[in-house]
Amino acid sequence: MKIRDILTFYDKILIVFVILVSLVLLLIPFYYFGTSAEGEELILKVQQGDQIVKTVAVANSYQNPIIFKIEGPIGIHTIEVNQGRVRVLEAPAADPLKICKKTGWISREGPIIVCVPNSLSLWLESTNSDIDGMSW
Amino acid sequence: MKKTKKIVVVSLLISLGLVLHLVESFFPISAVVPGAKLGLANIVSLIAISLFGFPAAFQVVIFRVVLGSLLAGTFMTINFYLSFSGGVLSFLLMYLAYYYFKNYFSLIGLSIIGAVAHNTAQITAAYFIIANIGIFYYLPFLILLALPTGFGVGLVSYFTLKHLPYSLTGSNFND
Repeated sequence: MKIRDILTFYDKILIVFVILVSLVLLLIPFYYFGTSAEGEELILKVQQGDQIVKTVAVANSYQNPIIFKIEGPIGIHTIEVNQGRVRVLEAPAADPLKICKKTGWISREGPIIVCVPNSLSLWLESTNSDIDGMSW
Repeated sequence: MKKTKKIVVVSLLISLGLVLHLVESFFPISAVVPGAKLGLANIVSLIAISLFGFPAAFQVVIFRVVLGSLLAGTFMTINFYLSFSGGVLSFLLMYLAYYYFKNYFSLIGLSIIGAVAHNTAQITAAYFIIANIGIFYYLPFLILLALPTGFGVGLVSYFTLKHLPYSLTGSNFND
């Protein structure tokens, strides 16, 4: 039994279609963010619910790591900013999947750390970019 | 097939789905792309759709999601709504594709449709909760990852159905 006996013609069309759609979607962030320019200042924004509760200039983290806590409906997140990178250091125990912690470090515009049960999101924004993270 | 036998097979599929749901949490592919998973529980959905059609297969999906969240202690929390939206939308799309385009798509195609729908539904549900459009950044990665996982899940369902005995399925499965 070969795989090509199982796969139908329309399966292949579907696979190619899905690949094309995801490649087009992949290119959209590049279109908006471009490549990172020299000397750009990154700002960490922390959103809880529908408002931004904290902004941190990442450049301040090169001397000493900045560690702070954000409280949400299900518990407290500990967030670490270190050497221009951001991660969730500790996720609350009430979040069984802890996806925000597994995301690891983010260090550029585009990737976002989310904790959906706590409606918390963290992302980096460049100060000299015309478009802010909300508009794309 | 007798009614009792059907109930037994459906409940077997539900418990298999629960176990597969547990097993897939051992694979840490959520570290590659946040929120990604193998979707092994989709194997039982596909088998149920091919064996029983709509009502019983829908029961399998609903009971798997509800019982799974009860076991994990996340019933009626946001995690439950996320897996519920993903499970129901991917099931409905797979069923519609099975019902209307049975002769065009194999189980692999159905499985890929389900995997892509699952990811899209979950990201959209998560967007309504965290109200940050940046979460769609991960959608293309999740969809790309859904191709190999959906392919594998479809293959597993195909071979499982081929090897199920006639006494269990009540019908000959010939694709």
